[in-house]
Amino acid sequence: MECYNLQRQAACLKRSLFDQGYLDEQFCQIEDLQDEASPNFTEEVVSLFFKDSARLMTNIEQAMEKNPRDFNRWDAHMQQLKGSCYSIGASRMKNECTSFRNNCGDENAEGCMRSFQKVKREHGVLRQKLESYIQLLRQAGPAETATRPGCA
Amino acid sequence: MLLGASAAGMEEEKKGVMMGRERDQFPVGMRVLAVDDDPVCLKVLETLLRRCRYHVTTTNQAIMALKLLRENRDMFDLVISDVHMPDMDGFKLLELVGLEMDLPVIMLSVNGETKSVMKGITHGACDYLLKPVRIEELRNIWQHVVRRKFSKRERSNLDIYKDFNKPPSADSCHGHNQIVGGAPDQSGRVSKKRKEMHSDEEDEGEENDLQEGDEPSATKKPRVVWSVELHRKFVAAVNQLGIDKAVPKRILELMNVEKLTRENVASHLQKYRLYLKRLSAVASQQASIVAAFGGRDPSFLHMGAFEGIQGYQPFVPSAALSSFNPHGLLTGTSAATFGVQELAPTMTVQTATNNAIIGHCTSDGNKFQYVGLQENQPANLPRGSTTPLGLPQLQQKWIHQENNDLSTVFSGSALANSLSGALQRVTSSPLPPQELLECAQAKLTIRPSMPMPSMNSELVERTVGVSSNLQDSSVSQQGALPINDAFSTDKLQLHDPFDGTSGTKFSVTMPVCPTGSLTATNNKSGASSCGTVLLPPDTGRHSNYLQFAGAGNSRHEIDGMKQDHLHNQEMSIGSFNHDFGACMTEQTNASMSSLMPQMKINSLTSEDKLKQKNIYDLGIPKLHGGFSSSSCNFDGLLSSMIKAEKDDLSFTDNDLGCDLFPLGACI
Repeated sequence: MECYNLQRQAACLKRSLFDQGYLDEQFCQIEDLQDEASPNFTEEVVSLFFKDSARLMTNIEQAMEKNPRDFNRWDAHMQQLKGSCYSIGASRMKNECTSFRNNCGDENAEGCMRSFQKVKREHGVLRQKLESYIQLLRQAGPAETATRPGCA
Repeated sequence: MLLGASAAGMEEEKKGVMMGRERDQFPVGMRVLAVDDDPVCLKVLETLLRRCRYHVTTTNQAIMALKLLRENRDMFDLVISDVHMPDMDGFKLLELVGLEMDLPVIMLSVNGETKSVMKGITHGACDYLLKPVRIEELRNIWQHVVRRKFSKRERSNLDIYKDFNKPPSADSCHGHNQIVGGAPDQSGRVSKKRKEMHSDEEDEGEENDLQEGDEPSATKKPRVVWSVELHRKFVAAVNQLGIDKAVPKRILELMNVEKLTRENVASHLQKYRLYLKRLSAVASQQASIVAAFGGRDPSFLHMGAFEGIQGYQPFVPSAALSSFNPHGLLTGTSAATFGVQELAPTMTVQTATNNAIIGHCTSDGNKFQYVGLQENQPANLPRGSTTPLGLPQLQQKWIHQENNDLSTVFSGSALANSLSGALQRVTSSPLPPQELLECAQAKLTIRPSMPMPSMNSELVERTVGVSSNLQDSSVSQQGALPINDAFSTDKLQLHDPFDGTSGTKFSVTMPVCPTGSLTATNNKSGASSCGTVLLPPDTGRHSNYLQFAGAGNSRHEIDGMKQDHLHNQEMSIGSFNHDFGACMTEQTNASMSSLMPQMKINSLTSEDKLKQKNIYDLGIPKLHGGFSSSSCNFDGLLSSMIKAEKDDLSFTDNDLGCDLFPLGACI
């Protein structure tokens, strides 16, 4: 029962993440890939994502400090981060990355700063939510992978 | 039971299309190397691939990927790589892999812009996927492996089946991946064949990475090195018999070479035919591209070139060269072969090339005439068939082996050579290949008889463009320099650059030969003297990028040849030069001196060049700054070439054109 509840909670959380646009279809693919061969795939990918994205964001931040107005560099870094977002399905964060890159294209330093702040914020929120989700999954046990209400 | 059996049977059916009901389960077990610096992407990709039942090896560094590939070519069937990587640009890796290992490469990127995709294609990617990658897309990637195999062996489908059926070759099971063990040996086979091709074409056993020694345990025959001379004979024989009627036995008889077996000839013939096919395919592709782009716009041309050139490059130049050679300028000797065979006097080469180019253009219009040239341009090729065919052959080889960079380089050089001036120009212009082409084009335009000069130039440009791309790749690839082997140490030098360090080599070679003259010429003609022509040391950069970068920069550099720009171009030029140089050196040790004459020619045509330049300059700027400059150079070259033709300038053996060919042709 408890298990089931946890599962349901996990499912609900996931659905809300989807509904609110934090995650997109790609996340479904990731969960799809979890199987006997890779039982903790989702969790692994998520933690890898946050670790790597934190690093990338630090790079961007440093680049913005040390290389002011070096939009190409900023853009290159952000492209990496954006790629990660794509891979995990972090939709909102990806959008903020895009707007950052647009600002870079426009050479709008102010705009970049703002976008970056948004990226950071989305990153933080997503991290929090996904961590809760993973936690629920972990607690719910492997059975929850069978049900994937969030993914149509 | 029955169900199970039929299911199994069906599965086999599915897989067995290629394999002909083999036990091999291709595409299951296909060995993929995945490269992406993004760990998240890489992990997801790996899992997706595993889900498709491929054997996956991953690395987050392009350099490591190259290392893995170089250590054992047989280890993988397919490479998937991200475009944006910190240690090496994905396109560069793509080129290198294509040239060195001739493996299909799929690019991955978040960036789906047309120009990026186009860049991927022109660099040789067999597919371009957007992130996030879906598993459905990955399920079909095996087709690229098969397609490549089939196209390589157009005539030997049976071989492919055999390959598929063959158990994995022992040598492919190198430690790197556990994967190797189970996978069918197609790639092994393929790579074996590739190796063979490479070895055959590579001649001299250059330091090419080709795994000459890695020959799978299966048949190990003594390799025949298809030197320029040999190839020339071959082409002559084929032309004599007629491409359709040429059978190995008769070719062998005509060639009258000891220790050459019918088998050698047969396989060489096959490659040659494939080459010709590719040329024509490319030509038609080009034609369509040209049409699509509206042809005239040089920038488009360049782009088009990039697109279509891949295949074209080798061909086009060779074709151009071939045709050029025969033309009058060639002073008679082998030169006609366009450098393929000998470093015929540059003059001849030049004119020949010009003619060839023009001829081609006219005949085929948009299509790459080169193909036509090869086959139908007897007029242009006094020498005959050998040249044009030879060139294509070489080109083909290049294509086979190097896959582009070299071809393009050489092709470009071929053109350049013909243009005689082009060579010089090449050196001067940052974008050697392109410039060459441009120049070639310019020249073409000069000739009134050539209706399609513009086309040619386009083609040329394309080729050039492609070449330039290739250049970079080639630079990094040793293999690319087969020409080098044939011709001289210079060539060898070229090889080095390919390794990355060899880049400098290119430049080095340049100086050896033509470089000296080239620079001289440049000065004389006022063309952009590639002072640095030899871009030596820039090898560090990816030649491709350099080229492009160079191109951009080369504009103003034409005269100044700034070092940095030159790097790129020189690299490319170098590669070209090599050819030229190589040829030149071969022919005349005093290539330098020979170049001089060319230079004169160039100066003569400088006016024309200028005119030409303008034409191309317009176009070029679009693409790269360098191009414009290149065009100038090329124009000059072209003009000089044309002039040479008209004036019957005495092109010395320096004729770069020859060089280009031979190198390429020799392949």
